[in-house]
Amino acid sequence: MGDILGVDHLSDLPQSIIECILTRLPIRDAIRTSVLSRRWRYKWNTLTQLVFDDDCVAMSNDGIYEDLIYFITHVLFLHEGPIHKFHLSATYLQNTPDLDQWMLFLSRKGIRELIIELGDGEWFRVHSCLFNCSKLTLLELYRCELDPPPTFKGFLCLKSLKLHQVLIAPEDIESLIANCPLLETLALSYFDSLVLNICAPNLKYLYLEGEFRDICLKNTPLLVAISVALYMNDDTEPFGDNSDCNFEKFFGGVPYLEKLTGHVYFTKYLSIGNSARTLPVSHIYLRSIELHQVSFEDMNEILVVLRLITSSPNLEELHVSGSSNPVAASEAPDLDFWENECPSNCTFGKLKVVKTTDMSGVPHEMEFIKYLLRNCPVLETMSIRPCVYVTDRRLNMLIELLKFRRASPQAEILFIQE
Amino acid sequence: MTESAMAVVKPEMKSYIWLQTADGSIQQVEEEVAMFCPMICREILQTGMGSSKNYAISLPQRVNPAILGLILDYCRFHQVPGRSNKERKTFDEKFIRMDTKKLCELTSAADSLQLKPLVDLTSRALARIIEGKTPEEIRETFHLPDDLTEEEKLEPLRNITDDPRIRLLNRLYARKRKELREREKLKNVEIEERVDDRSVDDLLSFINGGDGDSKAVKANKNKKKNRRRKDQQKDSSSTNENGNHDKIEELDALPSCCQNNEFDKISGASPSRTVKSQDSAVSIYSSKNEFDDADMYDDLDPAMKEELDREVEDFARRLNSDWPERVQEILSLGQERKLVTVLNGNGSSTRFTKQVLIGGSSLPIRVRR
Repeated sequence: MGDILGVDHLSDLPQSIIECILTRLPIRDAIRTSVLSRRWRYKWNTLTQLVFDDDCVAMSNDGIYEDLIYFITHVLFLHEGPIHKFHLSATYLQNTPDLDQWMLFLSRKGIRELIIELGDGEWFRVHSCLFNCSKLTLLELYRCELDPPPTFKGFLCLKSLKLHQVLIAPEDIESLIANCPLLETLALSYFDSLVLNICAPNLKYLYLEGEFRDICLKNTPLLVAISVALYMNDDTEPFGDNSDCNFEKFFGGVPYLEKLTGHVYFTKYLSIGNSARTLPVSHIYLRSIELHQVSFEDMNEILVVLRLITSSPNLEELHVSGSSNPVAASEAPDLDFWENECPSNCTFGKLKVVKTTDMSGVPHEMEFIKYLLRNCPVLETMSIRPCVYVTDRRLNMLIELLKFRRASPQAEILFIQE
Repeated sequence: MTESAMAVVKPEMKSYIWLQTADGSIQQVEEEVAMFCPMICREILQTGMGSSKNYAISLPQRVNPAILGLILDYCRFHQVPGRSNKERKTFDEKFIRMDTKKLCELTSAADSLQLKPLVDLTSRALARIIEGKTPEEIRETFHLPDDLTEEEKLEPLRNITDDPRIRLLNRLYARKRKELREREKLKNVEIEERVDDRSVDDLLSFINGGDGDSKAVKANKNKKKNRRRKDQQKDSSSTNENGNHDKIEELDALPSCCQNNEFDKISGASPSRTVKSQDSAVSIYSSKNEFDDADMYDDLDPAMKEELDREVEDFARRLNSDWPERVQEILSLGQERKLVTVLNGNGSSTRFTKQVLIGGSSLPIRVRR
């Protein structure tokens, strides 16, 4: 471009910048730079980040995973220096003995971030050399078996642990969490019938999804964000046979909580052993609450929601989605609760956005919306999205909505239909 | 001089920082813009330099004035706190549109000034240029030298990406190398053969006094054609053979003495002895010359081939006709003459020298065997 002589500026850039550039290329292109010129022959092989996915090797009709195994093995062989990040996410790759050899190799290369996701199907057993990776800061595993040796003292540098469909003994997972002192992010998915005690003094972000029988946040003072999706098996007795209040057990030790998300049976879980007392500690930092699949037929669940929002004076955003059966809830008991027992002098001084979705128009839902409209002086948006299956009640819902008093003069009520 | 001191001295006026690039030129720049660069910022705070022209902060060598201008544009935009992310992104996208040479220089300069956001931006832009291109395209864009040998090019690829295309390339290269090797061998063989021929041609032209290669070659071919004809005739009938041999022998002998009695002697001579020797001679003749014949004949173009054919026929006719009449004819023509000698190139094989008399002349014709 204007250079007749064509001076080569690119090769003169310092190696740190070359690696910066090569890291932003897909690994196949990065390695292809080795044929550009003599100086570029080995510029790629000190890359510290190796990301492999399905696009690494050209699609072949048969044995596509063999190509990928070959590719990865040879990249590792030709590589020089430490490897900080190894990310393998290949949906076509099945369990292969080469995986153990790669793990062994990586454990000697000072690996820091390890993400392994193979295809659906056979789960692989993680080689025990994983527990020798003392510099590990991020570990993300999918569909495997973890078996820490008894002498395992924990990952002392681990900051982020994400286990998705991983088979591990309950005491092992608890000790694993407890022995990672720097742990800040914990994500566990699809753990079945687990009673989980979490003891992580530095934990900030918690994501749980599965059929947990009980969750106990024993020592998590710094938690900032919680997201829990509790599934329930029909035959198992749900959640905590003891008379402990789950609500207090859960929220008792998280004063710095900023964001809460609950799915499926979370509110039901919290309602077990719930009492109407307000918490001694209010969550002054809690700004966003999302509760999905709240059953407005169950008075207890409604109480949980109310308790949550009343103990969060600085709440700014609320999202509630219902899961009521409109037919069964046509005769709603305890409707007088809203007039009599509900704390009516409670104003939500900061609540600006309220979203309600999957509304079936059952009486309690409408009462809840009415309650909010009455007690939110700075409300800006109230959006209501009816459940897709409910078509005939919508007009009634609208008529009722129009009647409600609004504390906030600038409140917009959006009734969203597809 | 500390920052606060500067602020106290001139609270309303904008304060400027003086920067000096490697080539000696000095620029002044608003303070807040310059402070956006960590390296400049550190220089100001630690050493207090940059407040005046004499104490300009000297920038690293990789920053030239043009690039400094670009960097300061970048800093000037981004140091304003109130901009939205979208605005910043739009600016970045526009900013990064420049040719690859400037982009590389900008990356290098930003790195030396430790301006990480700009390094990230330019690295991303360079990566986007490289991504998806073939090695040839990348070399062209960045003017990289293509200095790897073919084997070196294939080595890492063969190990890493077992692309079917790479495998095919390997096979093609192997095949090509094999072909080249074979062609080398053939060339050597051909050269040896031709060496002989060429030397013969040279000698012919030398002997002919530079009559022209074509003539010599033609004569050569003629001779060979003769030999072939001779063979054929030999095969057809023994008497003919003998006759021919005699005649040719006579013809050979003819130049040595231009006398009729000689002819008579020869024609009358008992054929057996001479034939035998001639036979053997001819057989050696033929075996050698068939080979040469085929080679040289095929190399001729068709026009020349026709001409030669005609000449050979003519010659054969003449041979078959009555000898004395023939001699008369020859003697009466007396204008043209063709000398053909074939010398032995190397000592091992014997070749016959033959001189073909097409037209009469006064020059003697020599026969060497």
